[in-house]
Amino acid sequence: MLLIITFIIYWLLDLTPGDPISYLMDPEALARLSESQVAALRAQYGLDDPFFIRYFKWLGRLLQGDFGFSSASGVPVIQIMAERLPATLELAVAALCISTILGSVLGVLGAINKGSIGDNVLTVAGMIGVSIPQFFFGVCAILIFALHLEWLPVGGRTDPEVVNFVGRIKYMIMPALVLGISMTAGVMRYARSSMLDTMNKDYIKTARSKGLPEWRVNLVHGFRVSLTPVIVLVGFRLPTLIAGSVVIETVFQWPGIGSAFNSAVRSQNYNLVMMLALLFVFMTLFASTLVDILTAALDPRVKLNG
Amino acid sequence: MSTSSKNARLNRKFDQIRRMEESGELKKKKSGNRALRKLLNNRLAIIGGVIFLLILLACIAAPLLTSYSPKAVDMKSILKAPSSAHLFGTDKIGRDVFARVLYGGRMSIAIGFGSALGCAAIGVLLGCYSAYRGGWFDSLMVRISEVFMSIPQLILVMMLVAILGQSAKNIVIIFVICGWGSCFRMARSQVLSIREEEYVQSLKVFGLNPFVICYKHILPNALSPIIVNVTLSTAMFILEEAALSFLGLGVPMEIPTWGNILNAAQDMYTLQNNWWMWLPTGIVVSLFVMSINFMGDGIRDTTDPTQQG
Repeated sequence: MLLIITFIIYWLLDLTPGDPISYLMDPEALARLSESQVAALRAQYGLDDPFFIRYFKWLGRLLQGDFGFSSASGVPVIQIMAERLPATLELAVAALCISTILGSVLGVLGAINKGSIGDNVLTVAGMIGVSIPQFFFGVCAILIFALHLEWLPVGGRTDPEVVNFVGRIKYMIMPALVLGISMTAGVMRYARSSMLDTMNKDYIKTARSKGLPEWRVNLVHGFRVSLTPVIVLVGFRLPTLIAGSVVIETVFQWPGIGSAFNSAVRSQNYNLVMMLALLFVFMTLFASTLVDILTAALDPRVKLNG
Repeated sequence: MSTSSKNARLNRKFDQIRRMEESGELKKKKSGNRALRKLLNNRLAIIGGVIFLLILLACIAAPLLTSYSPKAVDMKSILKAPSSAHLFGTDKIGRDVFARVLYGGRMSIAIGFGSALGCAAIGVLLGCYSAYRGGWFDSLMVRISEVFMSIPQLILVMMLVAILGQSAKNIVIIFVICGWGSCFRMARSQVLSIREEEYVQSLKVFGLNPFVICYKHILPNALSPIIVNVTLSTAMFILEEAALSFLGLGVPMEIPTWGNILNAAQDMYTLQNNWWMWLPTGIVVSLFVMSINFMGDGIRDTTDPTQQG
């Protein structure tokens, strides 16, 4: 799978205008070279070879961690990744935690009190949550909490003066909450229907008829079982999370991969675009494999490769 | 004795039914599509439908509702707050925001709906045939759609924007390339279950052309989830277009779309001081997408008996 995608990405990269030598080399060094030296380098990188041979050479370099250079700044792509990846992961993990916890708790509450006013309000609120553009939500949050109330900073990840983690949390609250809350609605709907499903099962009736208190039936017997599909959903939500992080990072000027990707697309920095896209795909595939393994561990009915 | 009294009772009942039938009482009760009646009982879907129609009609009738052109620059009235002359105020170069919202809506809705239809067309054509045919063609198509679906959609869209360049037509093409996968899978799974029905077997025995069986006899039975999918993906594409244009990667800036209007909110000064430039637009987009979602859910609840609760 990953191989097919690398192939597509290389094919797209090959289609883009511009001489590939410009992103294989440090641009400053390239500027100092003479014509014949460039030709020699082209031969060395095998740029005049047929397409498939070029692809495998490129793949080989990729496996060795050589991702080429960003044609705008001349920084190796791998360096940009190393600088920006922690920020994105930080944001993504925080948002994932918020949306999973909030979503499953609200969803389960809705399912237990099915048909009540609270449940209906939650359902409608979830629908509204799905419909508001993420960036619009983010912009409104900036306006209220940063510009009017001045509780939180407008954007960025840290101050030059602030070094410790506690100082940085202030910067993280808003982007993480916005990203998390905008994803909560989906989890909530899913958790609700999953919980409703579970509550109709026979063993819940058995638990009730044993005279167990209602909270115990709901929590121990219902919630635990209905959680598995919710975890599976985490895997499906990763693409949304990544797409969201591109938007949210731009809104909050968060120095992560998403905003790097956005500015690379804008400045038509093709090599950087493709490499970051490859990183996103890799992250998604890795996470979905992880979810598969986790599901198999949680639910004995699911077997890997079954 | 007992049988005759039973017969008499049944006869009475039968007479009653016939009387009702003749006087038209029964017919009245049953007239109208059952699904449609159920949809009309769904309050949220109705609210959604009304909002949807309101915004849609307002956008279509844009020239009647506003005399301003969405592109006309008027340097004399820059950054005016909302007034009776300019309902939503004016922007930095004096363009009327209300006119921009209406005309932009035309573009955004067209892009969203067009992309959703395009995805449905490709997805359904391929999905139906591939499910009906099975074999190597099916497994190849499933593989291809998996590749497309494993790349996060916005990332793929932005990659293609970087390569193809920005224009309204390109955006639709890109959305279709990136979005046909989910519709393909849905159509495929529907047809897979219908394929085993007896009427399909008998059509096969008659020796009908597989294309005729597939598109004329199977497809209509698989249509309702596809319609729901088109509705919901229209909403999704409108959101995606708005996000792309907000990032400055969507439709070129001079063409008004909802996303391009919202792009103004990226500027902190505008954000704080000129709320009318972005807030009404954002609310309109949210309302419109919400109304489509409500309608889509309503249609799904009425047509799909497994999705209730």
